[in-house]
Amino acid sequence: MSISHPSPDPSSDNLERVSPRFRDRQDAFWSGVRDGRGAPAMVLFAGMVGFGAMGRTNGFDLWFTTATSFLMFALPGQIVMLEMILVGASSVTIALATSLTATRFVTMTATLFPMLHERDRNKQLYAKVHLLAMTAWAVSLKEFQTIEPKHRLSYFVGLGILCWLISVPGTIVGFLIAGSVPMPITLGLIFINPLFFLLTFTEIKVTGYRLAIFLGSIAGPIFYLIDRDTSLLTAGLIGGTLAYWIDRQWIRRYDQKRSA
Amino acid sequence: MTILDSLYQNLDTAFAFKQGWEAWIALIAASLGTYFCRAVGVKLSGQVNQESEFFRWLSAVTYAMVAALTIRLIFLPIGLLSTVPLYLRVLVCLLALGVMISNPSRRLVPALLTGTLLMVTIGAML
Repeated sequence: MSISHPSPDPSSDNLERVSPRFRDRQDAFWSGVRDGRGAPAMVLFAGMVGFGAMGRTNGFDLWFTTATSFLMFALPGQIVMLEMILVGASSVTIALATSLTATRFVTMTATLFPMLHERDRNKQLYAKVHLLAMTAWAVSLKEFQTIEPKHRLSYFVGLGILCWLISVPGTIVGFLIAGSVPMPITLGLIFINPLFFLLTFTEIKVTGYRLAIFLGSIAGPIFYLIDRDTSLLTAGLIGGTLAYWIDRQWIRRYDQKRSA
Repeated sequence: MTILDSLYQNLDTAFAFKQGWEAWIALIAASLGTYFCRAVGVKLSGQVNQESEFFRWLSAVTYAMVAALTIRLIFLPIGLLSTVPLYLRVLVCLLALGVMISNPSRRLVPALLTGTLLMVTIGAML
């Protein structure tokens, strides 16, 4: 996800390394909350509105749709789940597929949390990690470079809580306006998320992952026609593994040879 | 029917409980699975090498799965989106992608707006 976030003050780039950016933890927390008004969080809000509209037009109830945003707080997984319930997949397949889409959180957390202060790296992180999603992760990773380690967790929690909490009204708003507004607007809303995923693919620069996206795109419809219930799972596993294998067998070797 | 009328009518039905328990079980399982991945990240933070072969494979599977989902949502949609002809869906995606790649680091919001507004326009003409 791209981050078009203004740097705090371009002229003081060197100064920030010397002088602390925040007075105390509270200051850092509220600064995180304020940064949630930026473009990345707006995109997240739009995505949640789109998700709410999707829930409404596909016949889900408001409570279920909203609970999904609150409990999962991971848009790709949420949409995978809605789609799979619609085609009648079993709970086990749904849990497997959504967990697989969530594996990105393993690497995201494992790269972000070592940047926190030693004192903050305790059991409480197991609660706070629920606030971690694409938006808060990408913004934090960028902002942490200019924040002192002892204030980083407060900043992350401020930003993450805002992102998490706006996802609930976002979903409700989307659910309520879909069906109330003229059909073309609902159509625009339910198109936000597929389009967002498509656009973020252009930001992937690693050849092996580009290949995974390409093979997944081909495998998706094929497996859908074979067996709808498990198609996302099989398309991901087979397309992804094939891409990984091709990357390992040929692409990386070729790159190594060329650079040698 | 005015927008206000349809809003009232919509609000009448919006708060009904209609999800079966199977869906709630699926949601609880999916939420636990998602949280599990976040917790594993905390456990592994600082110990895991992102460049390891296992993580490369896991990332490839994730990308392939989200790609499969995206293509299906665009090419084989269920519901309202399926009323838009396929060539128009593809055309809107191509135009939005064009805006995006004209400056990938800064055009996500304009590209998203382009695609969404085009879809609204198409809906109005259908």
